[in-house]
Amino acid sequence: MSILLDRGNRVLIQGITGQMGRFFVEDARQYGTQIVAGVSPGREGTNVGDVPVFASVRAAREATGADTAIVFVPPSAVLGGAIEAIEAGCRLVVATADELPVQDAIEIRAAAQGNGAAFVGPNTPGLISPGKAKLGFMPSFCYARGSVGVISRSGSLSYECCKRLTLAGIGQTTVVGIGGDPVKGTTAAEALELFHQDPETGAALYLGEIGGSEETFVAEYAARRGAKPVAALIVGYTAPPGKKMGHAAAFIGSKAEGHDAKVAMLSAAGVHVASGLSDVVKATQSALASAGRRAERATA
Amino acid sequence: MMMLEHEGKKLLDSVGIGVPKGMVVSPGTAAAAKASGRIRDYPVAVKAQVRSGGRGKQGGVMKAENREALDAAVKRLSETDFGGERPEALLIEPWLPIERETFLSVAVDGRADGYVVLYSPRGGVDIEEGPPPARYSVGAAHRFRAHEMRRVLQDAEPDYQVSEKVITIAQRLVRTAALHDCTTIEINPLVKLAEGGMVAADAKVVRDEWAAFRNREIAGELGQAKRRVDRLLRDCLNMQHMYVRLEGDIAMISGGAGMTMAVMDMIAEQGGRPACFLDCSPGPTSARGYRPAFAMLDADPRVKVILVSVFGGGTQMQRVANAMKEIMATRKSRKPVVYRLDGTNVDQVPAIFSEFGAHNHARLEDAVGEAVTLAKASA
Repeated sequence: MSILLDRGNRVLIQGITGQMGRFFVEDARQYGTQIVAGVSPGREGTNVGDVPVFASVRAAREATGADTAIVFVPPSAVLGGAIEAIEAGCRLVVATADELPVQDAIEIRAAAQGNGAAFVGPNTPGLISPGKAKLGFMPSFCYARGSVGVISRSGSLSYECCKRLTLAGIGQTTVVGIGGDPVKGTTAAEALELFHQDPETGAALYLGEIGGSEETFVAEYAARRGAKPVAALIVGYTAPPGKKMGHAAAFIGSKAEGHDAKVAMLSAAGVHVASGLSDVVKATQSALASAGRRAERATA
Repeated sequence: MMMLEHEGKKLLDSVGIGVPKGMVVSPGTAAAAKASGRIRDYPVAVKAQVRSGGRGKQGGVMKAENREALDAAVKRLSETDFGGERPEALLIEPWLPIERETFLSVAVDGRADGYVVLYSPRGGVDIEEGPPPARYSVGAAHRFRAHEMRRVLQDAEPDYQVSEKVITIAQRLVRTAALHDCTTIEINPLVKLAEGGMVAADAKVVRDEWAAFRNREIAGELGQAKRRVDRLLRDCLNMQHMYVRLEGDIAMISGGAGMTMAVMDMIAEQGGRPACFLDCSPGPTSARGYRPAFAMLDADPRVKVILVSVFGGGTQMQRVANAMKEIMATRKSRKPVVYRLDGTNVDQVPAIFSEFGAHNHARLEDAVGEAVTLAKASA
């Protein structure tokens, strides 16, 4: 199993005729993702490779049975595109764009909730279920199939950490880039809940940073009875307060949003917190080991 | 992106929220003399228009009882530094007959899936030391319900007349925030006047810079912010680079905010000191994109080493490597550059790097180690 994405998703690409869309068709197909349609108003009836292009998500869904959308359009067009996909009945919509106004993220999230769709993004590379399918532009060689569910606020940090896991022989069920913005389609808490339900996921790795309150919910999950073991890395130990560190949400506005407070809170909840990037594999191994011990106790 | 107080108040006034009738003057004595000639009623408040917080505690608001005191206050505030920032303007307002100061704020909050309204019956400069404000999670702006906020205020605000006025103002603030792409509208204090009315005595409005494409004011303010910095940084900002200056000597040209912070932390872990946070990932992956970053860091005397660290997914590494080759061919500075590229098409990097004698570290730890050693050697 995996969460949100597997071989069964039938994917349509909004903005398929752009540079990113064309790159993604090739890359994602090579990985095993079913790319069934593209949407590009005004280009309907054409093809990108052998992928048929439609004028609307609804038309694409009717003709191809697409049930998943990835939005590769400029930030000013993301709101329209993502809501179109949600209201046309897609069950999973990914918007990778950074520089999306937060007001638009709020509206897309509300639409997704109202329609029972999952929304991942913005400001994310997307998600990947290693060995099954990818829905984003992460470098495929960093991943291998396995039992760790990964949640990350930062794209490149997730590539780096997953490559380290993979080289150490630790595979992943699904790697979800929840993004670096304050309002997210899928929060860390929601992703953890999905991993909790996924029988193949043995432990979770959370990659967080300074700013915001996402980590509070990671700690709440970890402290819960019967929770799966969680490892975590929080970056930004050297980040000064009161400065936005690239991501809109990476801003230390109060002590609780700083590195040390988050690490202390997670540790107190029983999270295996890595001391730094070099320690991520070890922290994940110790989370997996405690998952193993738990399984032994359960069968004994 | 923070607006000045008088700009924020203009926004509040435009949606019918009470603000004092103020006058904006340029800093310096000439403009102030002209202004003071027009003021009939004293006392007045003279308020430095700065973007940094804690203005009240730094003496940025002065009371003037007469014309002489007003001139003195204008002179004093015009010459004062507030967290490294000189006032861009001064706001002169009638001194308010305050009965009570309250606190009202509307802000984007991930936990609320949108906006949250915060209210405290006791506002003012010490708001952070008091008990936490009452909290109403709204979500998307259209979900605001007066009756839900009324329930939240029930215990916090005993005076129902104040409570009803606060609810009306809060609803307007939420709608205004959504319409004008504000991530925060904070009124501290929201003043209850002796005659019963509520007036915004201050306004802190933060706007979402990513909405610049649909908001002329935000775009204009972004342009002005760029004009306030020096040319080298401006060139970087024009390439969409995100820069935060730090105190150390190892500069980074990096990709991705989380990864940049992880590398900063690793530099510190290995005994070095990062000189900056510089995330170049939103810019073009070409020599044109990276050249301003080198120009700024080469000119910065504190910077001893530059660590180029990019782990790209959508960013293709052969493009970054070619950009480095092109830049190094004409670069004048002899500051050492350490590379660690990884990600999409990284297998093409060694061949490109060998053309100009550069080495790409496979492990981040090794690249950081070399940068730290080089920085210590040149110290």
